[in-house]
Amino acid sequence: MIEIPELAVGGLAAGTLSAFVLGGGLLRARRERAGHRAEIRSLRSELDASRGELDRAGAAFAAEIEHLARTRLPAEATRSAHPHVRVPGPLGPAGAGTDAVLDALREAVVAERKRVDAAARAGMRGTTREIQAALYRLQDVLRGLQQRYDDPELAQTLYALDHENEQSLRRAQVAAVVCGAWVGLAREESHLVDAVTGGQARLVGYHRVQVLHHLEPGTALVSHAVEPVAIIVAELLDNALRHSSPDTSVVVGLERAHHGVTVTVDDAGVGMAPDERERAQRMVAGRDPIMLSELGDPPRMGLAAIGQLTRQFDLSVDLSSPSPYGGVRAVLLIKNHLLCTVDPALRPHSAGAAPSTRQAAGHEPRPDRAQPDEEVRQHPAAPARQAAAPPPGVPSAGVPSAGAAPGVPSADGDLLPQRRRRVPVQGAQAGRSVPAPRIPARSPEESAAALGALQSATNAARQAAATEGNDPR
Amino acid sequence: MTGRRNGRPLVPAYLSTGGVARPSRNSLERLSVLTGTGGPPPAGLPAAQHALLALLDGGSLTLMECAALLRLPVSAVRVLAAALTDQGLVSARPPVPVAALPDRDLLERVADGLRALKL
Repeated sequence: MIEIPELAVGGLAAGTLSAFVLGGGLLRARRERAGHRAEIRSLRSELDASRGELDRAGAAFAAEIEHLARTRLPAEATRSAHPHVRVPGPLGPAGAGTDAVLDALREAVVAERKRVDAAARAGMRGTTREIQAALYRLQDVLRGLQQRYDDPELAQTLYALDHENEQSLRRAQVAAVVCGAWVGLAREESHLVDAVTGGQARLVGYHRVQVLHHLEPGTALVSHAVEPVAIIVAELLDNALRHSSPDTSVVVGLERAHHGVTVTVDDAGVGMAPDERERAQRMVAGRDPIMLSELGDPPRMGLAAIGQLTRQFDLSVDLSSPSPYGGVRAVLLIKNHLLCTVDPALRPHSAGAAPSTRQAAGHEPRPDRAQPDEEVRQHPAAPARQAAAPPPGVPSAGVPSAGAAPGVPSADGDLLPQRRRRVPVQGAQAGRSVPAPRIPARSPEESAAALGALQSATNAARQAAATEGNDPR
Repeated sequence: MTGRRNGRPLVPAYLSTGGVARPSRNSLERLSVLTGTGGPPPAGLPAAQHALLALLDGGSLTLMECAALLRLPVSAVRVLAAALTDQGLVSARPPVPVAALPDRDLLERVADGLRALKL
């Protein structure tokens, strides 16, 4: 039989126990909830902070991108053409990764510039080539007319046209060379002084150019170097004439050097500042590739053309030293492998080119300078070699047209003119040698006395020699 | 010696006279005979005049022959020769006029007569 109080006590105890258990669980749950709430609060604040940070970073990055697009990329693009332009750095640490963009842009811009420049050069090359060919045809016509018609008025016009044509030709040719074309004309081996004078003739102020030719006659250029040298000299002279006063002259000296021949162009102009000089020297050295877009507007093609030619033909141009006249001194060195020799007697240089001073200097020590005939150096028709035959042969050698008195230049007053080439030269040489061979006539007594004297003298000398030889030692 | 032997000439003709084509005297014709007077050439003589003087050195040539030898147009040589004549370095003799030359018919008849004699 179960007692009710026990049952009640048991139930109470169980209820209390469960109440305790439940209370403890409730307490724990409440505590946990409070912890969760605190955690959520901290996490939320953390999230807010990081979201704010993200917003700030996003704004900074956007500002950086805008800075890149508006300032840095244009500056970088400009810098590829003008190296002195400074590209601003990134605004903050957010732009650290944008340098790669600039590098890629730089490469792309350079490649594109090269492509555009090459296309422009190709177009210009084609055009100038055709213009040049047309001008050469025009030159042929003009020279043909000059040969055919000798009326002074017409000739004057033809000369003026020819000169204008030469100037146009020079411009077209230089533009073509700058654009990477060949010089456009094959010439045969020519005298260096002809190439220099030819270059001189292509300029407006060619009257002001003085050529001093100190090379031995016959110094010539191999065929492929003729036109480049003429172009280079023309451009150097053009610079010299352009930058000097119209009443000064420009002096061109042709000198022999150890490694070849130098052409020195001196002007008495304003000269160049050191940085200009440095830039010009860099251009004529021809090491950097030529960009049409860097030549300025209007394009200054002269130095660029010189650079192109010096690189192609192994020539060298030096602009580094100032001229003693106060202007610029340009020295073109033509090395020995571009030089050859032509016979000046068979192929004389042009009549308009300056004669060499070399042989005249060789003639200087001679006592008799009164005979102008000694200057045999530029006689086109008669070979100078024969004229300079060995002197011993001269008195006896039969000169067909010598006549009775070879040494006496005829008084050409009323006589008909005769062709007497080279006779005065031989006369001069005979006059310089011992005059003994030309003894007029002797009486028989004089001849006998002279021969007797010779015989007795010979005998006396032989006897003296014999006694000396017998002298015992 | 033709003008085109050396291809396209490097030095144009106007350079030799300094661009002048009008001679200082009009007396020179294509067949005028030029003779050097033999004096020493002055120091500052232009190159082309120097070349012409050297060509006439010790002989005489007509203007045309000078032009061919110098490879210059006749008009240029005329200017050079006129300048040299003015300086007294060259004397020029006019060509024999056509009227003063003997009659061609007469010469042919004389030649025929000589041939007939020889045979």
